Amino acid sequence: MKLARYTPSFDLGRVADFDQWLRHPFAGFPAVGQLLGEFIPGAAGRLATDVYEDKDNYYARFELPGLKKEDVKVEVHDRLLTVSAERREKTDQNEESFVFSRSVSVPEGVRGDAIAAKLEDGILTVTLPKQEERKPKLIQVD
Amino acid sequence: MNATCTPSTCSPSTRSAPSVGVTENLQKPVYTVAGNDDVYEVRVQLPGVAKGGVKIDLEDNVLSIRGERQSTVPEGWKPLHRELSTLGYQLRLRLNTPVDEDKLTANLENGVLTLKLPVKEAAKPRRIEVQ
Repeated sequence: MKLARYTPSFDLGRVADFDQWLRHPFAGFPAVGQLLGEFIPGAAGRLATDVYEDKDNYYARFELPGLKKEDVKVEVHDRLLTVSAERREKTDQNEESFVFSRSVSVPEGVRGDAIAAKLEDGILTVTLPKQEERKPKLIQVD
Repeated sequence: MNATCTPSTCSPSTRSAPSVGVTENLQKPVYTVAGNDDVYEVRVQLPGVAKGGVKIDLEDNVLSIRGERQSTVPEGWKPLHRELSTLGYQLRLRLNTPVDEDKLTANLENGVLTLKLPVKEAAKPRRIEVQ
C-alpha cells in the first residue's frame, strides 16, 4: 500500500503554479485545520480557502453559504489568520449545528491593524493590506 | 445517424446543434429538501452566486436550478493558493408530487437559495371524518 499525501487542489488540478506557491510566505504553514482535514477530506469542519495577492493586498477567500455576519469570527493572532463559523439552530423538527474553522499563516509585512473582512453572497473575503515597504516601488531613473 | 453525411450534404435540421461538443463544467450543489403536506422547501447552497445569476425552471415535473458565479476573481488578483471551485452550479430534481407552479417562491440570501414549492390542493392528503 502506498500512502500519498492528500491535496485536494492537486487532484482537481487547480493549482496553476505550485512551485510559486511553495516559495510563497503563506507556504510551509499548513494550517492546523488543514492537517486534520487532509485525513478526512470534507469532514472535520475544514474550510477551503483561496489566497490571492495584488500590489496592495493579500486576499483570503472562504465559502460560507448560509452564514450571517454574526456567525462568522475572523481573528488574527501571532501571524495566524483564523476564520471560524459556528451555528446552532433548533426548531421543532430540525436541529442544525456545525463549527467550521481554518487558519492560514499571515505573511510578514502585513498590517495587522488594517485587516478587513467582507461577507457577500456566501463568500467571505479577508483583505490583508501589505506594508508600504512590501509594495513594489518604481524607481525613477535620473 | 447517417455516418456518410457531411456538412455540405446535410440539411440544416440534421446537423448537430452548435452547442454539441462544447462541454460545460458544472457542479452539483449541496441541497436539502424538507416538506410537509402543504409545502416543500428546497435549500440549495450556491456560494458566489448573486441574485441575477440564478435560473429556475420547472418543466415536466423536473425542477432545474442553474447558478452562475459572479466574475470569480477581480482583475489583478494573482492566485497564490487555490482550493475553491470556480464552477457554476446545476441541480435537477424530479418532483413526485404536483406542485403549484404559480405559487413557487425563490429567495437567495447569503449564498443559499430557498425554494418553496406549494403542493397542489388536489394532491394533498385528505382526512375523512368518520361519522
